[in-house]
Amino acid sequence: MQTATEQELVTITVNDQEVRVPKGEMIVESVKRIGLDVPIFCYHPRMKPVGMCRMCLVDVGMKQKDGSVRVMPKPQTACTLPATEGLAIYTDTEQIRKDRKGILEFLLVNHPLDCPVCDRGGECPLQNLTLIYGPSTTRFVEEKRHLLKAFPLSKYVQLDLERCIQCGRCVRFTEEISGDGQLAFLFRGALMQPQTYELTDFTSRFSGNTIEVCPVGALTSAEYRFRARPWDLETSPAICTECSNGCSTWFDHRVGEMIRINGRTNEAVNEEWTCDKGKFGHNYLNSPKRLTTPLVRDGESLREAGWAEAYERILAVFKGGGGAVAGLSGGRPSNESLFLWKRLFTERFESPNLDHRWHVHLPGAGETVAGRHGIREVNTPIAAFEGMPAIFFFGGDPAAEQPILYLRVRKAWFRNEAKVIVAAPEPTEADNFAYCVLRYRPGSEAALLGGLTRLLLEKAGGVAGADELRQAVARFTPEETEVVTGVASGALRRAAEAMAEGFATAASRTLYNLPNGADVVTALTNLAISAKSADRFNLFATEANEQGALEIGVLPGAGGLDTRGILEGCRDGGVRALWLLQCDPFERFPNRELARQALENVEFLLVQDIIETESFHHASVVLPCCAFSEDDGSYTNMERRVQRVRRVVAPKGHAKPSWKVFSELELRMTGETPPFSAKEVMGMLGSAAPQYQVSAYDHLEGEGVILPAEGGAAEPRLALPDYDAMEGSRELV
Amino acid sequence: MPETRLLLKHSGDPEYRAIAGYMAEGGYVGLKKALTMERQAVIDEVKKSGLRGRGGAGFPTWMKWNSVPKEKTKPHYVLCNADEGEPGTFKDKELMENTPHLMIEGMIIGGYAIQAEVGYVYIRAEFMDCARAIKMAIDEAYENGFLGKNILGSGWDHDIYVHMGAGSYECGEENAMMRSLMGERGMPGLKFPHAPFPTIEGLWNLPTLINNVESFACVPHIVVNGGDWYAMIGASTKNSRGTKIFSVSGHVNKPGNYEIEFGMPLMELLELAGGMKGGELKACVPGGSSVPMINKEQCEKAIIGYEELVEVGTMVGSGGCIFLNEHTCIVTFIWRTTLFYARESCGKCTPCREGSGRLVAALARLRSGDDAQKTAALRDIDELVTVMRSASLCGLGQMAVSPATSALQDFRQAVGAPKGANT
Amino acid sequence: MIKEIWSDVVKPILAGLAVTARRLKRDKSTVFYPEEQREQYPRTRWRHVLTRYENGLEKCIGCSLCAGACPARCIYVESAENTDEERYSPGERYAKRYEINMLRCIFCGLCEEACPTGAIVLRKDFELADYHRDDFIYTREMLLEKMPVKSDR
Repeated sequence: MQTATEQELVTITVNDQEVRVPKGEMIVESVKRIGLDVPIFCYHPRMKPVGMCRMCLVDVGMKQKDGSVRVMPKPQTACTLPATEGLAIYTDTEQIRKDRKGILEFLLVNHPLDCPVCDRGGECPLQNLTLIYGPSTTRFVEEKRHLLKAFPLSKYVQLDLERCIQCGRCVRFTEEISGDGQLAFLFRGALMQPQTYELTDFTSRFSGNTIEVCPVGALTSAEYRFRARPWDLETSPAICTECSNGCSTWFDHRVGEMIRINGRTNEAVNEEWTCDKGKFGHNYLNSPKRLTTPLVRDGESLREAGWAEAYERILAVFKGGGGAVAGLSGGRPSNESLFLWKRLFTERFESPNLDHRWHVHLPGAGETVAGRHGIREVNTPIAAFEGMPAIFFFGGDPAAEQPILYLRVRKAWFRNEAKVIVAAPEPTEADNFAYCVLRYRPGSEAALLGGLTRLLLEKAGGVAGADELRQAVARFTPEETEVVTGVASGALRRAAEAMAEGFATAASRTLYNLPNGADVVTALTNLAISAKSADRFNLFATEANEQGALEIGVLPGAGGLDTRGILEGCRDGGVRALWLLQCDPFERFPNRELARQALENVEFLLVQDIIETESFHHASVVLPCCAFSEDDGSYTNMERRVQRVRRVVAPKGHAKPSWKVFSELELRMTGETPPFSAKEVMGMLGSAAPQYQVSAYDHLEGEGVILPAEGGAAEPRLALPDYDAMEGSRELV
Repeated sequence: MPETRLLLKHSGDPEYRAIAGYMAEGGYVGLKKALTMERQAVIDEVKKSGLRGRGGAGFPTWMKWNSVPKEKTKPHYVLCNADEGEPGTFKDKELMENTPHLMIEGMIIGGYAIQAEVGYVYIRAEFMDCARAIKMAIDEAYENGFLGKNILGSGWDHDIYVHMGAGSYECGEENAMMRSLMGERGMPGLKFPHAPFPTIEGLWNLPTLINNVESFACVPHIVVNGGDWYAMIGASTKNSRGTKIFSVSGHVNKPGNYEIEFGMPLMELLELAGGMKGGELKACVPGGSSVPMINKEQCEKAIIGYEELVEVGTMVGSGGCIFLNEHTCIVTFIWRTTLFYARESCGKCTPCREGSGRLVAALARLRSGDDAQKTAALRDIDELVTVMRSASLCGLGQMAVSPATSALQDFRQAVGAPKGANT
Repeated sequence: MIKEIWSDVVKPILAGLAVTARRLKRDKSTVFYPEEQREQYPRTRWRHVLTRYENGLEKCIGCSLCAGACPARCIYVESAENTDEERYSPGERYAKRYEINMLRCIFCGLCEEACPTGAIVLRKDFELADYHRDDFIYTREMLLEKMPVKSDR
């Protein structure tokens, strides 16, 4: 897991076979290089080794000068033994076999043999290793230990204490990886058990991972409990679309139903972790409220209809609709769907009214980060955060908004001692490892950024065109900033100290929801530019394919209306027909009243979604569409990584992939040969948006590809926001 | 051979507990002398003395002191292991209660030698009186300028803090003790060759010198009288020098702490303790319950010394000498001792956590079962202890089997026989 | 001519009838199925039965090991958790749905072998013919043994 580029190599012998390995690598990893495997329970490659289970014992010797090997009297644990020059390892001696057998016998002394009803049965390391190394019978006649069974640690995680083999993986996960430290060992000796503090709820955002790291069935999923056995399940690779991180997952399904989601290793994105939202949040796929067939409105009620009828009704309204029709999308549809949808609107309906954004502030073309400052909105891949010396979280709780990025940043701190500066109005989970926490008053974001910019301009200097900016922030001395924002001037100085050498910004587009959001984003960008860190500036998307929608350009065309404009148009009659693609204005739009008026007044409302939403009840035509697991396609995650999803289960009922719906509509209007597969659509997307040329499906295996930068890197430009724009906060001062 | 009272010379003298009485008897002379010496010279004196760790392992003390980095780039620590929990051992308790300043002085000298600025005394939770005595002694030392800033004008600062354990035997193991002191769960960590020695990476990954109470208490005598003088005591043995306090208990007439020179035959120690009570000698555990048990013939041959006791198949250990008379049921004795280890196992590693419990169960079967069960139990114990000894992480698991193995070696005939014949 | 008819036609017929007549004295090897049924060998494997304990609780714990062992993949098990109010089997888990597709089953008996509680057994009822394909999906209700008669009431 080390990312160090140049490592010293040493020669060790494994079972008399020489192998060169990096110095300090744990022997348990080294033996894998020659195809051997040492059995393990407590060792986990992503956590610090502890040597608790003693399963990985190997005989160890040192090569003497005369070439002979002096073997240590006692076997050593391979998971804690670093490789040094001349080490001789024996993994398969008589004594080792005996010890392994003995350890397994000990583990099974108190482990109940209820494998037939255990959810881990069939994919259980203890079962597997017992089969390979263990004894076939037990010699011990005493009663096994009896403890709590199926005790709910939280809504999602159940603990069966009888099955626990005290390997400490779950405890170490919460200490080392997720960092919440919610599990700890209670009691000692044979009664030792992992528990939460005073049996409080296990509320970690990453609790589901403990189920996966548990080598037995002690921690099991309450959602998956008794739903299937591993051999009943089909397992297919998928991508999580619950947030913009785009984690790789294993999608386990049975007779067309989603059963569970597990983490899939993708070193570039989620390593092997998932957040609880991703692991337990996919139940909507099996919901009875799934839309399965097109519906059309007859008077007061919706009735089932064929696709042809639905298409006719749609085309009657939208065809040639021009500025009188509009489309709003969420961040959920795939790249392919969004691309064809955009083409349908701009070229076939000739309507510029298209948007995918739902924030309070909807910057126009010249007001975005790219337009105003000449830098990209996203520059740093998730994995690159691991090597960043300083990271600046701004505006929200990263663990909630970007859980996997949060884990990376925590790892950067845990492994590489990165300095993490957290600026948020409320306590966040990142606070407990932050180098410096800037707790500002809500509304004073711009002032805080002004204060930081002032300090950094003093230090860095020499940024082109900084004079005006220097003047603009001149009044935000640390002391003045303290008065305005409530952040102690010392903390501000400390933060600026850490950020002076350059830092990576990690903020999300939810900043646009602030009353003065546009100014805050500009101020944040200025801050990055003034520390010469514009190449590490990131204003991340929060939805699965929000970044894709931006790249493809699901945005108002020339003279087009943005989200607010479209909804106002619907209300006032300027827009006659509205197409909602996998989005619900009631849920998404900040002004619910406007959303209600718009949907009630618009003449024709087309709702295309996978599940019944609130908007559904206002619809004139409803089209069912496929979830990510039911359709081929690709997603662009927040770091601009394009990843492939495949059809793993059949669509529900008569649902069709969205891109197919759009291509069939096009066919009805033009008669041109439509694309027949998502792969073809991606080819077309590549010619329309050149950055997508790299993501042809042949290149999307494995970790996916990051989209290349468009054009040459322009010199970042500073801009002047209104640093005094602090709605509501003035009164506080 | 009588006792040689060096450390326990003033034991029981209430005057000596206070700093005035201690200084009247030549206290803190060693510290004053040490502060005038080069640091390396102090270590060399300890080297000359041949002092070996009194906590159980018998590792040469000077080597520990010498392995602390000489170039000081980061803080160093001294940690005094006062978590005396070994069944049968109670020497540190007497030392701390009666001669607290002796140990404190030794710690300060140790701290000076390795350039430490902070010392910790990790005292077992049950030793309230010791903690009180040590705290009082530390306060007195501060008042008299032996601790704090610029000690005796040498320009060197040193502080000592007392930390109470939480009742775990396992925390007597140095690695577990450090973790406990750092606020973590008292479980042993990785040891050489998996991790550097504590003198390189100890508390908070900084160099830490860990010694037993008795080891530190010897240091002032060595510094005052010179290492060569100390090395003359017990010179009849191979490599054991000085005096050692033995806590004699069991079936003896006068149980208690006896400080003797190395080289004394074990039977003389028994005589010092007033001889056997209630019957002939049957067996002896000379160094605390986790060292192997020896039988009467071995006892008669045994000379007290680190190498000398190994020759008869046992160890000096921490000096908790338990004599058992002929009416003792050996199986019950080892069952009870093993039960202690099973209860005190920290739970970290599998062989100790599960194995010790199973060992107790097998011993229980051996105690009360019929012939067939006894044979089966003996076979189980044999296989169980090999795994425990070879696979356990720390000393507890490896030593927890030694009462069973050693006793069963000697007394197999007796314990294998039906109950009644062996009592 | 008549002689030839006698020797080539009538005589052989009579000889054949004589054999038949002689055999009439022997025991029959056929039975009047379905009125009569032959006794079957002890290890005959036919229709599956889900057995119960004496107290009426199902032996099946819904572990799906039979489905895993089945070479024809004809068993489908869906399990659920017992509650104190609604208890089907001892322990935590029971089979909510248990289906065997008898058209696919090859009566190999591996399910019986895999069963950790001895719940599924292949018994001697071999009359499995039916008119509709759907009827060959045997559900849990069809497979379960009758509740044991309580003798003491």
